Amino acid sequence: MLLLFPMLISAQEKDWGRVSASLESTHHIYVDDVKNNFSPTEDYSLRYLDGGIYASNNYLKVDYYKGRLSAGMQLEGYFPTTVGYPLSESMLTLSNLYVNWADRDYSVTAGTFYEQLGSGLLFRSWEDRALGLNNAILGARATYGYKDIVSVRVFGGMPRVGKVTADAYASDKIFSLGLNKTIVAAADAGFSLSECLGWDGSILSFEGSFLYRYEQMPEYHMLDGNNIGWSARVNFDKDGFYVKGEYVGAGKKQSLDFGVMDGNAQIVELGYNSRGLGVSVTGRRLYFMQQRVLDGTNFLPTDVNMLSYAPALCSQHTYMLANITPYTPDTEGEVGGQIDAFYNFRRGTRIGGKRGMKVHANLAAYFSLDKRGGGFEGSKSRLWDFCLDVEKQWTRKFKTTLLYSLQDQSGSMEGLVPVGDGWGTQKIHIGMSHTVVADLLYKWTDTISTRLELQYLATKDYQKDWMAALLEVSFAPHWSVFASDMYNHGSSRMHYYNAGLSYSYRWVRVAAGYGRYRAGYICSGGVCRQIPAYTGANISLTASF
Amino acid sequence: MRTVLIAISLFISTLAFAQVPSVKVENSKGESFDTKTLVNAGKPMIVSFWSTSCKPCIRELDAIYDALPDWKESADFQVVAVSTDDSRLLAKARSFAEGRGWGEDYLLLFDKNQDFMRAMNVSQVPHVFVLDAKGKIVYSHTSYLPGNEVELFEAIKKCR
Repeated sequence: MLLLFPMLISAQEKDWGRVSASLESTHHIYVDDVKNNFSPTEDYSLRYLDGGIYASNNYLKVDYYKGRLSAGMQLEGYFPTTVGYPLSESMLTLSNLYVNWADRDYSVTAGTFYEQLGSGLLFRSWEDRALGLNNAILGARATYGYKDIVSVRVFGGMPRVGKVTADAYASDKIFSLGLNKTIVAAADAGFSLSECLGWDGSILSFEGSFLYRYEQMPEYHMLDGNNIGWSARVNFDKDGFYVKGEYVGAGKKQSLDFGVMDGNAQIVELGYNSRGLGVSVTGRRLYFMQQRVLDGTNFLPTDVNMLSYAPALCSQHTYMLANITPYTPDTEGEVGGQIDAFYNFRRGTRIGGKRGMKVHANLAAYFSLDKRGGGFEGSKSRLWDFCLDVEKQWTRKFKTTLLYSLQDQSGSMEGLVPVGDGWGTQKIHIGMSHTVVADLLYKWTDTISTRLELQYLATKDYQKDWMAALLEVSFAPHWSVFASDMYNHGSSRMHYYNAGLSYSYRWVRVAAGYGRYRAGYICSGGVCRQIPAYTGANISLTASF
Repeated sequence: MRTVLIAISLFISTLAFAQVPSVKVENSKGESFDTKTLVNAGKPMIVSFWSTSCKPCIRELDAIYDALPDWKESADFQVVAVSTDDSRLLAKARSFAEGRGWGEDYLLLFDKNQDFMRAMNVSQVPHVFVLDAKGKIVYSHTSYLPGNEVELFEAIKKCR
């Protein structure tokens, strides 16, 4: 029925507008697993589950387009939320609702919308379902542009916030947008000098933003809740070389340890891209750039949503062992940067061989700032991170990717330690680790392939050495099955196994799996959230048309 | 309840399905690019949403890149690679795409706050669309398995 639906609709084309929709539905069934410190049916279980073994997150998004008019909504259902989600209630809520008119030079939006000023250090509203993050703004927005020379945006409204808005949900059951008393209003303008002067092949533009934000503050808070921030930006691009710079004045921020401080940040990006070569260098300084919405309640960063975006700027690893201790920045004071280099040794060259070879290297380093004065404390490094990966297509059927990662963090994280007969968490020094990964892909036929990942992590710190393997067999265009295991043989002797299969047909994908998941951080887009350990089965459905 | 569902289905069945909406993204030079203008090329196109942290996305775009010289011999079309990396990874995404040589054959677009992704109702990457010369979506696929790229070319050939 679901698959026939668009055929039925597309068969009748009338100019009554167009509909686009997506559905995402994830279901978890949890099982007791004492070895993994997880028992959803016992009273020491996670507070999120309330003794239940079933959880489900569901999102239905529908958009309608007719000429320059568009409108849409998003329905969210949690029955209740899956493990680790910041919300914990069962609810069915109409979360996003908007109407938009986009003319050639201007646009007007009423309802919910997402926005970003510059890099997002000053302000960003966005949705990330993996993290349970959605800070859509309910309000109004207008944009105007003149011949790619001048662009202006103004918007204002109330952001959706996180768990602390349980009362807001309860008091507003018709449109449970989870709003609080926070208000934002912003203006943003851009001017392109190169467009104005008709330069050919070069870009030089200037941008600036102003942000007013009001938050209801806790009684003990030293600020009155009114905050004014601004940012100034410059962009230059010529013949593949580019420079971007941004200065952010974030206004007054209160810190638990340092009182009221002036928040500010600077970011510079340099790069050069040409045929087969890409190099980018990023430097950033953060000084009291806390991101969270306070909502008049508390300082707990995990309980609330964010209104700005200060992610970790380093390698975002996707292999299991390289991502065991992801870096999280110190938004109260750090300085550092990263260098990325990509090079494609072309086909027919001595190193590239018959089918070419791709090489990527990244180096990132971050240091603590003297938080009293904002100066550089060079001896206090927070992160040294180096990774090198090489991709080589050996034959038409066989391809390898080899990765080496060195990570050295001076910080600490919540780690798993033996407590009595089970396991508990405490602050653990992260330290240095070396990870190697071999990713081998072999195509048996044009549609049947096998992928094998072999990984090893060596460290003298935290849980000592790990090993991991993943085997995936794909039968294109529809089926895929996989099995994986992460084994901590250096300390806990725990296996974190996982197996599953997926079926996809055009715009519909169904996946099912069963596994044991370790406590740690789930990271998406450079933002990380701590999740507890759990064991169980999962089924997910995504459809988009 | 059944009557309501039938009524909703009948209402929606009078609506044609999505084409490319008008959303502002960035091109590889950081200039503003209106996605509505994609149809100005007047030829079919493959639009692939990807990110630097999505390995299947990269495998799919590499597979298309490798097959492109052969495909172009029998069909005239464009490949549009839309990075959904946010501002954190935007510079890396540009260098990554150029470093792999995609910039030579693909139109590279950067959707740093996922506005185009939301407007196309893409909930996870990789997600690829095939559009005919008028911008109408004739095929879409979510996820990637080695060999799936053949379906894209079959859809492109049907656009002629």
